[in-house]
Amino acid sequence: MMTCHDVIDVLADYLDQALPPEVVADLERHLAGCEPCRAYLATYRRTRALGAQPPAWRCRTR
Amino acid sequence: MYRLAYGITRNPADAEEIVQDVFLQVVRKGTGFEGRAALASWIYRVTTNVALNKRRGKRYQVETSLDDVLPTWEADGHRAGPRAFLVANWSERPDAELLSGEARRILEEAIDRLPEHYRAVLILKDVEELSNEEVATAVGDSVSAVKTRLHRARMALREILTRRLGPPA
Repeated sequence: MMTCHDVIDVLADYLDQALPPEVVADLERHLAGCEPCRAYLATYRRTRALGAQPPAWRCRTR
Repeated sequence: MYRLAYGITRNPADAEEIVQDVFLQVVRKGTGFEGRAALASWIYRVTTNVALNKRRGKRYQVETSLDDVLPTWEADGHRAGPRAFLVANWSERPDAELLSGEARRILEEAIDRLPEHYRAVLILKDVEELSNEEVATAVGDSVSAVKTRLHRARMALREILTRRLGPPA
């Protein structure tokens, strides 16, 4: 059974769909029973999306 | 090119100089590229190198030690911290709210606080949408080092945002 630490360590690969199916199954089983990890995944995913959007990476004075 | 240079340096004047430098290098190198993909890959690499060099010794803002903004762990593998903070979930807030006003300022500050090597991989991967292999080529590092740095950069941004947007820790 994965711990919260194990889950968060592989979140980037999970979002890239780069994990083996058995690890995905373990991870999703953990998520189903762990509210902190569900919150972490949701905010991590949202952080990735926010960081990719303007205006954060663009010059503010142009 | 400008977006990448600005993303790493966070300084408009530096970014403009970098673009000029890279253009000059492209002109000097001439037609020695095998197709557009090779040219694009080379431009990413040179722009990243010039931007990182420009930043060296020029610290405009205090950059955060990432250890201060990464999750900490209990011995049993649970994340450490008060439960209200651990379950804080601001992800459903609309873009209009998160990309304007106070929330936007927090995001900008969080990006500014990342060390430039972390900003470089973040922009190459999440903004320019390069593969991990392409990012590794651009920054001259291994794929595994790139993946680790990228994950740590996202975790740090997430932590800073959650401290400011979620309930008090």
